[in-house]
Amino acid sequence: MVIGQKLALSVFLIGKIIRFIFFFGFLYFLLLGNTTLAGYTGNQVIFFFLTFNLIDVITQFLFREVYNFRPMIINGDFDLVLVKPISALFRVLMGGADVIDLITIPPLIILTIYFGILLHPSVLSTLYYVLLLANGFLIATAFHIIILSFAIVTLEIDHMVMIYRDLTSLGRLPIEIYGQPLQAFLTYLVPVGIMISLPAKAMMGLVGPAGILTALLVGAIALFIAFRFWNYALTKYSSASS
Amino acid sequence: MRKYWSVFKISFEQEFAYRLNFILWRVRNVFQILLTYFLWSTVFSNPQTQIFGYDRAKILTYVFGIMIVRALVLSARAMDVSSDVARGDLSNYLLKPMSYFKYWFTRDISSKALNLIFAAVEFIALFVILRPPFFFQGSVVTLFVFLASIILAVLIYFFLLFLISSIPFWAPEIGWGSHFLVTVVIIEALSGSLFPINILPVGLQSIVMATPFPYLIYFPVEVYLGNIGGNALIGGLMVAAAWTGVLWLSLNFIWQKGLKVYQAIGR
Repeated sequence: MVIGQKLALSVFLIGKIIRFIFFFGFLYFLLLGNTTLAGYTGNQVIFFFLTFNLIDVITQFLFREVYNFRPMIINGDFDLVLVKPISALFRVLMGGADVIDLITIPPLIILTIYFGILLHPSVLSTLYYVLLLANGFLIATAFHIIILSFAIVTLEIDHMVMIYRDLTSLGRLPIEIYGQPLQAFLTYLVPVGIMISLPAKAMMGLVGPAGILTALLVGAIALFIAFRFWNYALTKYSSASS
Repeated sequence: MRKYWSVFKISFEQEFAYRLNFILWRVRNVFQILLTYFLWSTVFSNPQTQIFGYDRAKILTYVFGIMIVRALVLSARAMDVSSDVARGDLSNYLLKPMSYFKYWFTRDISSKALNLIFAAVEFIALFVILRPPFFFQGSVVTLFVFLASIILAVLIYFFLLFLISSIPFWAPEIGWGSHFLVTVVIIEALSGSLFPINILPVGLQSIVMATPFPYLIYFPVEVYLGNIGGNALIGGLMVAAAWTGVLWLSLNFIWQKGLKVYQAIGR
């Protein structure tokens, strides 16, 4: 790797770490003066934030290639992906991982486990958390497939990705802080609540079997819709410029 | 002057060439405001709550104030200077009979005008939907000082952007990385966009207030709210003015050094 690339990677890595520390510090100082937020204690609010980061960072690590999809569509280079004997969706979704996130994931997992232990969860709550976290990744995958499909149909992706990230970043804090109808919108229509808040709530013993089943059903439906939309989008691919 | 007026008009119209991009950018701004609004609304859900010297009306005015001040201060096009330098496009402008700084400052003003119009519409829409308690500043003197703090903030941000954009003279690969670090990470956190700086412990607050960043958002909004007065107000304005001068001198020095090593790579 040339020095310039190493420097660029270092700058991004430092930026990501500083951003995490700033928000973490902000929550810490906020909850020093105000012991609860929407009924959640300081450790619980931090656990919501860490769960958001875990899903956000791992999906960015896995799906970084999505950010490079637009030039492929604009230039018609997607043709070269379609003719290869490998799933085109897999290639454009997971064709390139972000090494910066590989560095930040291990300490993030350790922090999440540490703050998770502070919540004194039962074994069942921990199992529910892991299950809902996996479900959260499925929903995130569905979102990314839908964004890719939009890119084929509309040729617009950059802002779609950023809007997805802005929407999910609303899950940095417990979904209960948002008023209605925003809370319902974030729970059912764009299931940010199910993707991020629900796993954290399960860890706190606040989700029963019915909630788990509903979440899994939403995850399955989201993935089904995403695959159907992807298949539809492929029929609209115009192979422009190729 | 007429040529800069033409630059202003062309730049304004250019924003409409990518209407969807612009609208989506504004949608993103609304999402960011919603997070901040609901966070503080929850913290101050009890109308009697007083934390960090704020009551519910003042903190929610702070959040709404951020919308307008962000549009005025942080809407800018000068971050594109970085790619001009990295790709050698700067040569095109150096040959033209106009000041490169004034050209980008005019484009920044054009961007601010457009963003201000949209921010005002969003402000009204969110105000009608959320109906927050709002603190109206009645003092004409305070409003005048608020305007002065905004002008200083605009200049500080412009000089900061240009300074960061000078980095590609020496390291073209980290043009976007430097902007990410300074404008996306540091300015978002330390300017007061997410939280008022005075929620931090006093020691940390003093360190942050010695940097130029809180004079972009936090200081102007606090001036509007009337939370800063007397010596603190004069001191704050002097620090902001001092940063404006220091950044202007630094920019001139670094830009001249940069032009000497500029190789018009890619041309």
